[in-house]
Amino acid sequence: MSVLSVRGLSKVFGSGELEVTALNNVNLDVQAGELVALIGPSGSGKTTLLLCISLILDPTAGVIEINGKDIYRDGRINIDVRRFRRENVGFIFQAHNLIPFLSALDNVALAMQLNGVGKRESRKRARELLDYLEISHRADYMPANLSGGEQQRVAIGRALANEPPLIFADEPTASLDTGRGMKVMELLKRVAREKKSAIIAVTHDVRMIAGFDTLYHMDDGRLSRTDAEAAAALGAPH
Amino acid sequence: MDLAIKDVQRHLGKFIATIVGVGLLFAIVLIMNGIYAGNVADGVWLIENTDTDLWVVERDRGGPFNEPSRLPEDAWKSVAATPGVSQASPFITYGVQREIRGKEQQYTIIGYDVFGGLGGPGRIVAGRSIERAHYEMVVDEKLGVALGGRVHLGWHDYTVVGLTKGAVDSGGNPLVYLALADAQEVLYQQDNRALEAARATSLKRIEAVGNTPEQARRLLPLVSANSDTINAVLVRLRPGTDPTQVAQHIQNWLYFNVYTTAQQYDLVVAGKLKKMTAILGLFRILLIAVSIIIIALLIYVLTMEKIKAIATLKLMGATNWVIVRLILEQSLVLTVAAFGFAYVLVELTYEHFPRTLVLLPSETLITFAVIFVGGLVASLLGIVQALRTPPSLALGG
Repeated sequence: MSVLSVRGLSKVFGSGELEVTALNNVNLDVQAGELVALIGPSGSGKTTLLLCISLILDPTAGVIEINGKDIYRDGRINIDVRRFRRENVGFIFQAHNLIPFLSALDNVALAMQLNGVGKRESRKRARELLDYLEISHRADYMPANLSGGEQQRVAIGRALANEPPLIFADEPTASLDTGRGMKVMELLKRVAREKKSAIIAVTHDVRMIAGFDTLYHMDDGRLSRTDAEAAAALGAPH
Repeated sequence: MDLAIKDVQRHLGKFIATIVGVGLLFAIVLIMNGIYAGNVADGVWLIENTDTDLWVVERDRGGPFNEPSRLPEDAWKSVAATPGVSQASPFITYGVQREIRGKEQQYTIIGYDVFGGLGGPGRIVAGRSIERAHYEMVVDEKLGVALGGRVHLGWHDYTVVGLTKGAVDSGGNPLVYLALADAQEVLYQQDNRALEAARATSLKRIEAVGNTPEQARRLLPLVSANSDTINAVLVRLRPGTDPTQVAQHIQNWLYFNVYTTAQQYDLVVAGKLKKMTAILGLFRILLIAVSIIIIALLIYVLTMEKIKAIATLKLMGATNWVIVRLILEQSLVLTVAAFGFAYVLVELTYEHFPRTLVLLPSETLITFAVIFVGGLVASLLGIVQALRTPPSLALGG
């Protein structure tokens, strides 16, 4: 069974002459532990797809299922959105987006505490996660005192905090140099394999394409499967 | 996890500076409270500490504190003969500015019957009350004259035989108690040239209506200003007597105005202190409003600084309450800390103020409640902005 199943998803902004179809009958299946990349030019609808799947934007039509459970069907959201995001989705951002006034440890623990885990338990588990991500020696550092790569590791820890079946990554390596970007990709792959989380990443970073299990190309709101060779032939996505 | 406190720790310098700034504004509010209560306390001190039931003053006058009142000195005898009156005493009060020990000072002289009359100093903290008919005085320690010191007033030197503490007039100036005759002499004293000029003017006036110079000289004592006047008669009633009835009797038969102590109190508070109350009230409202606007702006700026963090929290599934609490708590921490700073500052310094400051706990509590509600209101701008922030703001570079 797919962790994520999207059927006929569409998103239309505006109406009449100003109508813009951002997602056009998108179908997508993602398995547990799969590392999926969404590539495509700017404005093609990649981020809109992530926003719709995580129910930050309301889709116009279609069906979204998580682990076989219907969470959205043709204009109707069938769950508590914030609870859904706390329990089922982790986010990794291009700019890391760590809470600047919390230490690395607290950033990870906060995600658990928002999901109802107690203070002591959350800090214990956060330390274990940072240890797993080999960044526990920086647990008490504030984000401003961490390098970009270190911040992204902490962000991955935060995304993993509640062991979600889905992790959405928005340009996870874009702000890192090649070496650090590669390390983050290896880490994401390890997380996907070992934690059985499906990771869907929007990326423009052609250097990292080879690291993904599955590639999807998005153009004018349409999603199609592609491979690394074809992606390279399309040129570096913009 | 207390996000608000964590954020405060990160911006500690900015927070402390704001707490000090806003705290100073709050301190001014508390000082104004203190000045107002001090004014009332000063304004009514004499009324409350005179231990009298009725104040008899000149007809149609609001005296002796709100406007001048002049009564013949022997008016007290007529008042004393009124049914229900246990004791009546002459009383004189006037403010002066004279040099004492090389320094110009404002103070109020109280003249009273030193041999058992009403209106004398209540509690003497050092020395004794006036026991001789002349040249002794009891002063408040605020005047700065030590016990046994000598003060030159008019034509004579007076010895300080007793000291009071906190005996002040409505302006906060110290009281100086003298025997009635001495107080009258100081009040009506004139130098020889002034006396000659007054005498010449009076003689001319008498001659102008058809009298010879000889007749004018003989009539002069009858029209000369009388220095045996007083400002009020203080009355103590017999136990069980209705003050209203006695007051009515004095008004009807002696043609004087009579106020009970409660009326005299109201007269001072509603008259002399009314405008000051309004001005201080206006300033207090303005200062609190300015403080709240400052807090609101700071909270708004702090909210905008962490707007991306707020969007990230929303994306992570944080409830609205987590976001609201983050902002609300900071606003309240700022407000309460600033008030605490103001309170400690005023408590440590109020005794050194040149005016009497009376810090009433009830007034302080009400001010705190108003400021606390203001703190809640101040956070609204930031809260609205935070709740409007879309979680999608967290995405993108």
